[in-house]
Amino acid sequence: MKILERPLLKNKTSATGILLFVVLGVLPFAAAFIYALLYSFGLVGVISSGFTTEFWVSVIKTGSFFKSLGYSAAIAGIAVFLSVVIALWLTLKFKSALENKFILMMVYMPLAIPGLATAFFIIQLLAKGGFLSRISYASGLINESNEFPDLVNDNLALGIILAFLTMIIPFFMLLFLNVYKNERVEELRILAYSLGATSRQVRNKVVLPILLKKTRVLIALYFIFLLGSYEVPLILGQESPQMISVLVIQELKQYDLDKIPEGYVVAVMYTIVVAIAAIFLFLPRKREQYV
Amino acid sequence: MTKLIQYLTLLLLALLSTCCGSDTKRTTLDLENTDWETLVDSTSGKTVNFMMWQGSPVINDYINNYVVPTIKERYGINLQISGGQGPEIVQLVIGEKQAGIAKGQVDMVWINGETFFQLRKLDGLWGPFVDKLPNSKYINFEDPFISVDFQQPVNYMESPWSISQFALFTDTLQVANPPKNLEELERFVKENPGTFTISNDFTGMTLLKSFMAELGGSPKSLEGEFDQEKYDRLSTKLWDFINQNKKYFWKSGETFPKEQTKMKQLFANGELKIAYGYGEGGIEENVRSGLFPNTVKGYAWDNGTIKNSNYLGILQNAPQKAAAMQVINFLISPEAQLKKASPEGMNANMVLDIDRLPEAYQKLHAETKTRKYGPSMDDLKEHVIQEPAPEYMIKLYEDFRTAVIEK
Repeated sequence: MKILERPLLKNKTSATGILLFVVLGVLPFAAAFIYALLYSFGLVGVISSGFTTEFWVSVIKTGSFFKSLGYSAAIAGIAVFLSVVIALWLTLKFKSALENKFILMMVYMPLAIPGLATAFFIIQLLAKGGFLSRISYASGLINESNEFPDLVNDNLALGIILAFLTMIIPFFMLLFLNVYKNERVEELRILAYSLGATSRQVRNKVVLPILLKKTRVLIALYFIFLLGSYEVPLILGQESPQMISVLVIQELKQYDLDKIPEGYVVAVMYTIVVAIAAIFLFLPRKREQYV
Repeated sequence: MTKLIQYLTLLLLALLSTCCGSDTKRTTLDLENTDWETLVDSTSGKTVNFMMWQGSPVINDYINNYVVPTIKERYGINLQISGGQGPEIVQLVIGEKQAGIAKGQVDMVWINGETFFQLRKLDGLWGPFVDKLPNSKYINFEDPFISVDFQQPVNYMESPWSISQFALFTDTLQVANPPKNLEELERFVKENPGTFTISNDFTGMTLLKSFMAELGGSPKSLEGEFDQEKYDRLSTKLWDFINQNKKYFWKSGETFPKEQTKMKQLFANGELKIAYGYGEGGIEENVRSGLFPNTVKGYAWDNGTIKNSNYLGILQNAPQKAAAMQVINFLISPEAQLKKASPEGMNANMVLDIDRLPEAYQKLHAETKTRKYGPSMDDLKEHVIQEPAPEYMIKLYEDFRTAVIEK
């Protein structure tokens, strides 16, 4: 401990920095987490009646948490995978066009649109009574609005995934463009060519590994971010299964006040899952250069 | 480092202890020994925060462009509106109670029996105060649809504001003979698949209560205190009925709209052929605004639909109780209620007893235009059900999720 203590106290600015981080970042979160934990065991709350595990048992028994978590993970996973693939393809394909400032700004634009607006836009566009459906009706492709395919509030979460794609593809494109420039991938590519590599080898052994390795933590973080997103699945999702944040809010706001602690159980379980995921994500790669 | 940890632990404990602090002094009024004039004497210049559902343009228009300025002009009270209904209000009260906040953010709330039940359970409402309001003399508290809220006696803890009945509606151009009982509904959804649904909210659950009363055999079958055995028996029948037919519902019954506004949109764009709501269907404003075609008509359900009142309450930790009373007294004045009744505006039934009004207002009421599209409460009076006990709603809500949505 002493060894640690000395440099910490010596360097006052860094000590203050850590303290500030802990006070502003860690403490409120820790307090909220402990509070939720106590709530989930019936130890706090307006109508709590002392320690009980019934809420935990009930949540685990009904299985809605696990279903919801699996559903959220599948949606977030598919959305992240597709956007990485599409963004990589677009970046590499249109690299030179993307150097044009105007085109780059157009790519930036969707980043400024909030998720809520994207979700509403998708409803307007893709619902059975939406814009595309009307065009299909007017042009005689369908005879009534019910024939239009189910694209929002649907079983396969197509609406949610589409909203996520429009939100994150631009982000990944900008990310890959930057990495491409900063890591001098272009020069490495030319070097590889001059050493006799085929274009396939250049892509698979040089360009993609560098881009993906450099960005994989951000990609993983984006996955966690999508896992917990709220407004998009609230608007575009179906009633069951629901994405995890929607489930938490629904449990917290339910009419039966005696069951509100179940919402806290779900929140606590979700926090633990994400925390474990984050630890796995960061710890083993501590020594690697690209983190 | 150890010191740092110790310090942080202390800080954490301090933070935790503040979040669970005990109640401190609240503002309170001695209603027993104070007359109305003294009570509202010093309310000028005060700010009253009113939390209400803001999902309807005509209601917002009534509040923002009539109530707020009139109250400011007449009583000098600043009425501030914030958005929120049932669950938000309950969350607010729970949060403030847990934090021990003596002077809350909100003074008065617009609630129905569901929230009334929850707030009573949390001891979140202040009162009784309604009998102190001068304009309460126009209200007939003998009327069980006013004095009993979801089978709970109101006991002057909340002031009635509007009264309305649930009704269904359809576009008569498309559906000439809409279903009026469960048997006909079954036939209807089979012939018109995808055009009916149940909104997973207060409105949808209210429809389910009407269905349950029908399965019980009469409009009165759910009256009285909550009966678990009766609930189990009737709800099993209800879920059987829905699960058998939901493949003919909107989106094959695999999902349900989250709320009634969404359902109304689906109706407006033609996906649904039948919808429903409070306020005798609440279609007048939608037809007038052009959202619905003018061939849309409201209609009654054979075994009846639920009729109830909605209310205004004052929260236990409201900082401006007297000023809130002044506002509520205005909202139940003949003038404000008559304005609210206009079919071109909010189109809400008066909660006041017409016979008790001063003659001038009785005359004005008689002259008020009638609705063009929606049925009146009088048209529905043969088909009326009193709100069952709140537990029915709470259980239906939960079981609709487990027995239907998640199946």
